[in-house]
Amino acid sequence: MKFYIALLVMGILTQNFTLSKFLGICPFLGVSKKLNTALGMSAAVIFVMLLSTAATYPLNILLQKCGLEYLQTIVFILVIAALVQMVEIIMKKYMKPLYNSLGIYLPLITTNCAVLGVVILNIDNITGYAAYGFGFGHAMVNSFAAGAGFMLAMVLFAGVRSRLEAADIPKGLQGLPITLIAASIVSLSFLGFSGIVEGMGLM
Amino acid sequence: MAEKKKYNYCKELTKGFLRENPVLRLVLGTCPTLATSTSVVNGLGMGIAATIVLVCSNIAISALRKVIPSKARIPAYIVIIASFVTMVQMLVKAFVPALDESLGVFLPLIVVNCIILGRAEAFAGKNPVLVSAVDGLGMGIGFTAALFCMGTVREIIGAGTFLTGLDTMIGSSFKGFDFTGALSKIGLAPMTIFILPAGGFFVFGILMALANRLAEKKGMKKASLNGCEGCPHAAACGKRQEGEAK
Amino acid sequence: MNKKDVRDIIKTAVSLFLICAVAAGLLAAVNSVTAPKIAENSAATANEARKTVLPEAESFEEKTLSDGTVYYAGVSGCGKVGYVFNTSAAGYGGEIALTVGVNSDGAVTGITILTINETPGLGMNAKKESFISQFTGKSGSISVVKGSASGDNEISAITSATITSKAVTSAVNKALELYSLAVQQEG
Repeated sequence: MKFYIALLVMGILTQNFTLSKFLGICPFLGVSKKLNTALGMSAAVIFVMLLSTAATYPLNILLQKCGLEYLQTIVFILVIAALVQMVEIIMKKYMKPLYNSLGIYLPLITTNCAVLGVVILNIDNITGYAAYGFGFGHAMVNSFAAGAGFMLAMVLFAGVRSRLEAADIPKGLQGLPITLIAASIVSLSFLGFSGIVEGMGLM
Repeated sequence: MAEKKKYNYCKELTKGFLRENPVLRLVLGTCPTLATSTSVVNGLGMGIAATIVLVCSNIAISALRKVIPSKARIPAYIVIIASFVTMVQMLVKAFVPALDESLGVFLPLIVVNCIILGRAEAFAGKNPVLVSAVDGLGMGIGFTAALFCMGTVREIIGAGTFLTGLDTMIGSSFKGFDFTGALSKIGLAPMTIFILPAGGFFVFGILMALANRLAEKKGMKKASLNGCEGCPHAAACGKRQEGEAK
Repeated sequence: MNKKDVRDIIKTAVSLFLICAVAAGLLAAVNSVTAPKIAENSAATANEARKTVLPEAESFEEKTLSDGTVYYAGVSGCGKVGYVFNTSAAGYGGEIALTVGVNSDGAVTGITILTINETPGLGMNAKKESFISQFTGKSGSISVVKGSASGDNEISAITSATITSKAVTSAVNKALELYSLAVQQEG
């Protein structure tokens, strides 16, 4: 149980996927202009992350049994791409309201490195956290934490950016440069969480 | 008809260096740029690995451009890119194991590097083999150059060293420069924050500002925030955002 | 669905299938070339690591504990000089794997980090000589303190990377436990 909480705290705060592992920076910079788009995008990311972790976990065992670990990257990216397409089609047909709010972000997610990143990191964690018996449940919690961390970063940053729009910024820094510097400060503030996992006695 | 068009190979090669630099002008491949530029050697390793994949996938996609059905274009591109990435991954593991260790998850993640899929969609899928290879090489060099700049600034300020790790990477006897000793003599220590994630964003922001300034002087437009123009899904994404804004 | 659509779908499927098949074939070919080289590399690294942590030894004998753990006995001209153990512990970013050398008196002769994936600039400092050299000469059970170490069996943690420091220490402690087991078993 402790380790599940540790994974959550690490994924969301101390080892935030976007702000400290640099995964999913493109949507973080591109889609964080408005709060509701930021929320929609990250909800879709959490959903796809959970789904692809669930799908690739057994596939990885199969690949290992056949001694085909080297096909990992190619198999995983295809599974993610196919899953995203399928979800889009199913949503469009049966869950129209959900599709209208989340569906538009789905095609963007295939090439979101956070999704492939979390899938590969989960597979690495099976050996990395062997002492804790890292298994399917842990992988799912880790994916959720990664997605939730992405959401937190997106939502916080959407707030920061709405303030930036109103601010008087030196001409040379306007646009992307000031956004990146703001991201740097948000990332800096997350450094303040370091030690929290240990402080709570979780690891 | 397009086949008979004359290509200015030199121009196709150099456009990736500055004018259309994938990182600083098109704002693509930001994740690996930020994550692997903690040291110069790391950044160069990433840049070279991505360049090899980019050139190979551009050649393969361009050679197969008449065979690949347009409907199944994206999955076909992804398969081709993923196989080259896996090959590079295996070769790196076999011949430069230190690089594999330091790039970690970002080595397989070259698959989702927008620069590569972006060039496939925007260039290699429409142009002949040779010019696509040149385009890939130019873009790859531009990417590597941006990583080199980021890595230089972050390593010198953040770790007080330059080019460390070269010895373990390529087995040279040159161990890189270490300024930490000289710094501590005058009571200074490296600013670790620059190799931490926050410093990555900061250095990237400043470099972007400089690149914008340069571009402005030459009368080009600034790098735009929704600059995922090269990304195959960007058309959808950008339009939707604009639509919503209205 | 008319005939043209069906033909279109088949054409798409076949060409995708062919691309996948060629890709898989090429990968298998590259793998057959690189796999032995990768295995050779890791064997060479492991051997190198053993030599660094137990420099006195001239050669190593592979041995197995009753629970199946593999360890190495270092032998020089004048007999057995110590043992080498491979241990690991969970750090911040995943597994930290070490090679630990222990001499016949039960003191650590040196450690090398084989795999580590911690934050650059913080946890990655565990690779620095200033941290790992602290372990040399320690025996029994080692503990981590923040700030400067005072006790015999204390080492000082890396600034802002306590979890990493603790993980490395626990892996070294594991090696020391394995040492006493090995001594017991060999009598």
